[in-house]
Amino acid sequence: MSHVNVTADLSERNVELGSTGSLASHACLVVGLICLAVAFLFPVLGIGDTTWGAFWRNWLQTWIFVLQIPLGAFFFVFVQHLTRAGWSVAVRRPAEVIASNLNWIWIGFLPIAALFFFGGSYYLFPWSDMSELAAHAPEEAHLVEGKTAYLNTPFFLIRAVIYFVVWAVLANYFLRTSLRQGHEHGDGPTRSMQKVAAPAAILFGLTTTFAAFDWIMSLSPAWFSTMFGVYFFCGCATCGFAALILTCIMLQRNGHMVKVITNEHYQDMGKLLFAFGMVFWAYIGFSQYMLIWYANIPEETGWFLARQMGDWGWFSAWLLFGHFCIPFLFLISKHPKRNWRTLAFAAMWMMFFGWFDVYWLVMPTIPHDLATFDTYDAAAEAYAHVGTGLLNPINWFLLAGMLGIITWITISRLRSHPLICKSDPWIDESLNFENM
Amino acid sequence: MSATSKSNVTAPAESEGKTMYGLIAEYETPADLIKAAQQVRDAGFKWWDCCTPFPVHGLDKAMGIRTTILPVLVFFAGMTGTMVAFCLQTFTNATDFSLWAMVWVTGYPFLISGKPLMSLPAFIPVMFELTILFSALSTFSLMFGFNGLPRLYHPLFRSKRFRRVTDDRFFIVIEARDPRFFQGRTKAFLESLNPLSVEVVED
Repeated sequence: MSHVNVTADLSERNVELGSTGSLASHACLVVGLICLAVAFLFPVLGIGDTTWGAFWRNWLQTWIFVLQIPLGAFFFVFVQHLTRAGWSVAVRRPAEVIASNLNWIWIGFLPIAALFFFGGSYYLFPWSDMSELAAHAPEEAHLVEGKTAYLNTPFFLIRAVIYFVVWAVLANYFLRTSLRQGHEHGDGPTRSMQKVAAPAAILFGLTTTFAAFDWIMSLSPAWFSTMFGVYFFCGCATCGFAALILTCIMLQRNGHMVKVITNEHYQDMGKLLFAFGMVFWAYIGFSQYMLIWYANIPEETGWFLARQMGDWGWFSAWLLFGHFCIPFLFLISKHPKRNWRTLAFAAMWMMFFGWFDVYWLVMPTIPHDLATFDTYDAAAEAYAHVGTGLLNPINWFLLAGMLGIITWITISRLRSHPLICKSDPWIDESLNFENM
Repeated sequence: MSATSKSNVTAPAESEGKTMYGLIAEYETPADLIKAAQQVRDAGFKWWDCCTPFPVHGLDKAMGIRTTILPVLVFFAGMTGTMVAFCLQTFTNATDFSLWAMVWVTGYPFLISGKPLMSLPAFIPVMFELTILFSALSTFSLMFGFNGLPRLYHPLFRSKRFRRVTDDRFFIVIEARDPRFFQGRTKAFLESLNPLSVEVVED
């Protein structure tokens, strides 16, 4: 407990959203729907020679980025209960609400799942049609053959259902139980959440790891990296923490949570963004790269080679500097973390590079004939013309569309609950929290 | 605290060959301590300190302690580690670069699994480790240095009352070397800050 008493205003006007943001949230919905509709026009009308295969790859990429936001926020929520953290109580409710988007996030996966029933899944997941893969790339098919016990359509879809159920049940549980905290229930809900947090952490680790294997790694089915799940988790933390910071700042800019969320909370959220979004991401990314670079096994190096050919070389360099080097230097001091303007800039920057990172993971395809080249230089020269498609407007329409919809739902949900866990036993500690 | 002291201006109060170290004021709660510390700060004292059984939030601000320069120094120490590791590995792998003019050694290129001699990915783990090592060692030694540690004896240990600082009492110490320190006046000032007691500590 602190001894400096900050007078926190817990009046209804301050800790309930009320009608604030109503117009903005509906605008987000309208813009989101229009952008999604425009994105669909690209393959329908064949604008810019967009094929349905390319469109669904874009869709998958954008959807995974949007999925990372509630997953990261969910990680934030259960880790507070796991560690019995006091400081975070003032910002936990926005995180719980963002995490509860896991209730409906599966809707974005439905079209991908539908591809398995209506054909067209081969373009994304080559393992889903082994005979076609064998016809195009016999060597790769030979490698993938051994994985069919795991990589087959029924099991793939069953696993997806398991992930969505686990995420929705857990995210809902933490939101509902947190709302039940209060005098009439004693400390039951608080203790219950602390108990559930441990198995939730294990389930979260397993589901995100296998979801990353299924939805991103199996796009190049011959390739494998055991570190991939952790890498995906770093992406979740990046986007989730950045979204939480931006939500808190937006709430305060609109006159809510004033003197409830302080610079002290921002500094700690900034530390988490710094630690997980930059340092841990770079650590894991480099560890994954260096082992593959050192071992130099063809079926492993192809994945990185595809990300170094043509324009992807610049793209990878941008990822390194944009996701790590530049924000690392920017956010290393405590001062930019304690100023809402600089922190908001850093959070938006990291959100963008979270999206950029998923683009780097999902969009490149490994050419089937890559293993036939004698040297690295020969392969790089043959594919020097490969573009990244980063400036393709379809990316931006899909991104605006999905972000618009998640923003709309998040604001609506924020409106239906108090913005603060008022009856949490550690609320006073959190309101008076100071870093030093 | 400022290293340049004007303490010589005020002659330390001496009695029977003993030098006076300073005055301590005792408080029962952190809140009382913070209130008093703000007034000591506003009175313009430089050589003074607060002693507490545990870290008290907000005390730094109440005492008007400036931000430490330590993180900046550690940052540059870390960068030094990065560069040392990079130069070390570059030199030890170099074939056509020798420090012959300065020292009687040249590089020892050693080819491992066909990798280029100068390959940054292989250098990074060592660069990372030396960054951590230099940062950790400089944090440790600079923190000790800035705080005048290690120090086996302190005049405050003479006071029996002060022993409760490790348990349930909070103290303000104003040292005699402070230019604004005058025994009678400072004692009266401390007594006006509602302490449980004020005590003279000798060196």
